[in-house]
Amino acid sequence: MPIFRWEQSWNPLRDLEREVDRLIQGVEFSVQGIRMPRQYPAVNIFELDHEYLITAELPGMQVQDLELTIANGVLTLKGHRNPPVIDDGEIAEERFRRQERTFGEWQRSISIPDRISDDRLSAEFNEGILKIHLPKLEEEQARQIPVSSGE
Amino acid sequence: MSRQHSNEDQREIAHPEQYVFTPPIDIYETDAGLVLYADLPGVSVGSLELQVQDNKLTLLGKVEPQIPEGARPLHREYEVGNFLRSFILSGEIVHSEIEAKLANGVLRIFLPKAPKAEPRRIQVNTG
Repeated sequence: MPIFRWEQSWNPLRDLEREVDRLIQGVEFSVQGIRMPRQYPAVNIFELDHEYLITAELPGMQVQDLELTIANGVLTLKGHRNPPVIDDGEIAEERFRRQERTFGEWQRSISIPDRISDDRLSAEFNEGILKIHLPKLEEEQARQIPVSSGE
Repeated sequence: MSRQHSNEDQREIAHPEQYVFTPPIDIYETDAGLVLYADLPGVSVGSLELQVQDNKLTLLGKVEPQIPEGARPLHREYEVGNFLRSFILSGEIVHSEIEAKLANGVLRIFLPKAPKAEPRRIQVNTG
């Protein structure tokens, strides 16, 4: 019988991801030290006594361009990031000396544990960091289940 | 204007036990000068140091821990650390008029070019 591991509910594809990681690590990136997450945005998940906390780095995003939805135990983060403009027009490609930042639409879904109080979810966005608070449900009382004999 | 520190230099400046990241940047040129954008999530105006010395522009963004104490990590995809990057400025940049603005974790630096001198006519006199 498999032993239940709590972390599995966050990332059922971990073994596959590890294998892909191993393959990707064989490829040299020319720009060292720049973080290139496979999935955008990269998230960290923490557990506290009363809640779970999800953090993501979303520099340059505006609050109105962010959309968070929750349905069937899946939290979906969605948004778009607009590139810089000059005089309300696009910057011509030949003006760029260096282009390392990325722009455009993105979306990411994260499975969340069952025991979450959906209606008390909250999120804050400051200095390009998104924090999503997922309050845990109040512990329910253990319920006695009467057992009757089958006679 | 894009030479970077070696990794050894970066560690001396920042705390040795912390991560130091090279922030991704865009640089584009206009007639008036260069515009540099750097992604610095988690850096506030108070924790950003921007310095021009000789012809080197250095940016150091310090990121404070964002997580309450006692939080237990369940899943980690990115590390939190300070941002450091430096650039060699070309001679045409007017150092005293560099402007910087920080919003939503993005730094924008305007590096104005010195106006080109008008061609000056040199009078030639006969001996």
